[in-house]
Amino acid sequence: MNLSLPTPARPASPGRPGRRRSASAGRAGRRTGAAALALVLAAALAACGEEVAPIEPTIDPAGAPAAADSLEVHDPWVRATVGADDTTMTAAFMVLDNTGDAEVTVTGARAEVAGRTELHEMAAVDGQMVMRQIRGGLVLAPGRGQMLQPGGSHVMLMELTEELRPGDELDLVLELSDGSDVEVSAPVKEFTEEAGHYHGDDGHGDDGHGDDGHGDDEGHDHGSHDHGDDGEGDEHP
Amino acid sequence: MSPSVGRRRLLGYVGTAVAGAAAGASAGVVGAQALDDDGRARPGAPAPGADALPRVVPAHGPHQPGVAAHLSGVTELVALDLLPEVRRARDRDALARLLRVWTGDVESLTAGRGAPGDTAPWLAAVADLTVTVGLGPGVLGEEWGIPAPVGFAKVPPMRHDRLREEWSGGDLLLLVNGADATTVGHAVRRMVADARPFAALRWRQQGAWRGRDQQGRPVTGRNLFGQVDGSANPRPGTDLFDSTVWIRDGAWAGGTTLVLRRIRMDLPTWDELTRAEQEASVGRRLDDGAPLTGGHERSDLDLAARADGRWVVAKDAHARRTHPSSHGGRRIFRKGANYEVVTPAGSETGLLFQSFQRDLTDQFVPIQQAMDVSDALNEWTTAVGSAEFAVLPGFAEGQWLGHQLLG
Ligand code: HEM
Ligand SMILES: [Cu+2]
Repeated sequence: MNLSLPTPARPASPGRPGRRRSASAGRAGRRTGAAALALVLAAALAACGEEVAPIEPTIDPAGAPAAADSLEVHDPWVRATVGADDTTMTAAFMVLDNTGDAEVTVTGARAEVAGRTELHEMAAVDGQMVMRQIRGGLVLAPGRGQMLQPGGSHVMLMELTEELRPGDELDLVLELSDGSDVEVSAPVKEFTEEAGHYHGDDGHGDDGHGDDGHGDDEGHDHGSHDHGDDGEGDEHP
Repeated sequence: MSPSVGRRRLLGYVGTAVAGAAAGASAGVVGAQALDDDGRARPGAPAPGADALPRVVPAHGPHQPGVAAHLSGVTELVALDLLPEVRRARDRDALARLLRVWTGDVESLTAGRGAPGDTAPWLAAVADLTVTVGLGPGVLGEEWGIPAPVGFAKVPPMRHDRLREEWSGGDLLLLVNGADATTVGHAVRRMVADARPFAALRWRQQGAWRGRDQQGRPVTGRNLFGQVDGSANPRPGTDLFDSTVWIRDGAWAGGTTLVLRRIRMDLPTWDELTRAEQEASVGRRLDDGAPLTGGHERSDLDLAARADGRWVVAKDAHARRTHPSSHGGRRIFRKGANYEVVTPAGSETGLLFQSFQRDLTDQFVPIQQAMDVSDALNEWTTAVGSAEFAVLPGFAEGQWLGHQLLG
């Protein structure tokens, strides 16, 4: 279901501020399988507390075009946790555009306020929507866009150390397979749809994001479904 | 059309969402907001000669663009009040957070994209959309640590006023203008929803304006009396406009102030007048808006002109009473939205009269007071609502609305 459409031309300007970019060699090698990802991520997170770069895009001084230079992030936002049933987790949503000529793979994400961060997708399993980690990361073919939105793919933020209030700004880093990063500053918004549409009864709610779900290093498939075992939803034309 | 939008319309996001698990199966594609019915990308550039096609009005700049932008078809003015707890605590931080949330909404909605977290992004469209945000008297002043612009105050009561609470006041303003009511209404609902943790709706007032001719060329437009209304306005882009409208100094530099008057217009009694009487009430012709003293629509009135021993422009003619020369050169910049509210009980017609000025007390008030003392139009017009807002300065990409005051 990850249909995409071609993008003809490189745009001159991004849509929203909050798009930040920095090259970071330290993230190379995060091309691990999904099952191992969480462990690596958990370890990596301990080291992540770097300052956020200014908004102006920076060109990789080394000259090699980093994947981050091709990835545009538009209209990011994060669901507020104030008043939520479970205030230890939330999700970030945004629109991703690969404006370059090469494939871009988002392999992970990190945020200071989240002890654990994963890329999730929703999938229908036995007539039930469940969320699960995106196998192999989020692959964006050249010139393709992808929406991360409620009820669909999202960046899952867990083990939050702070309450997220509407209007707060959350700094998030998207990690790309070539080791480059894209920094995103996303406003926190109240989620105005019924909560159950997004997280809740069939997804994180029932099978427990808190304890037996995300809290446990291998239980990221939200209800005993292997990542991508049916191949569904992972075709990127 | 800005490059990012041209692209945006071509791209066509396709989400992975299954909108509502009930859609079942694995597909349930949503989010192709930029596609036409065939699923093809729409051309980004307007067709040649299609001046009338809605465009993107860039959101960023030293001023909020909606003030000077030529009026597109539909205007909504929306007032919100801060929630009691926010107001009680004088919670500047909460106000700043609301403005941050709105900033993202304005940026995406005006570009024709759904707002972040939009529950119906398909309703967003490229539609000349502007969203102008202002602060009301209740959040300005020492208690809030937000200085009011010089001269900002409530409009004093007028003898002819019949103000109603439900059309007056408000802590926050959204002035939304765009090509069509669907897009405008969506922007309003979205931004009111996003304000929910901070503020609640007080009133919404809707109106329309025909600001283009058949060829799509910008024209002044007419109010419901049939008058060309706005002819003598200072023209955006001129020094006169800038000095009339924009606050020059201090934290509000680049902002302005807005007075909204909801003015009921009595069409049945207006219709009883002869055309000559109607034209005399303002001092301008009905067909082309030219002064009764000659010239064309943009010509100034010759207030000294006499014929047969009488003033050509009557003593109580609206354009004489309000003319800059009657007010030591003081001017305002006016915009309008015609409204007709139809209920089972009947209809109310009128004008959502918007006056922009640097200094509300110095510019707007004397003109309004002169009208209140005497103005031929008073016989058929009655202000039934009134509200004042300080319009925030503009913001650059990466900044947020109001950062100059709350940052
Ligand atoms: C429903 C109420 C009103 C109607 C129907 C109306 C109509 C008009 C018309 C037809 C003109 C002449 C064309 C033009 O220059 O725009 C005019 C001019 C003007 N009106 Fe109004 N108006 C109304 C209310 C007001 C109010 C409340 C104010 C200010 C307090 C005001 C201030 C002015 C000014 C300053 C001019 C320009 C005079 C000049 O420089 O020649 N009007 N109005
Ligand atoms: Cu999730």
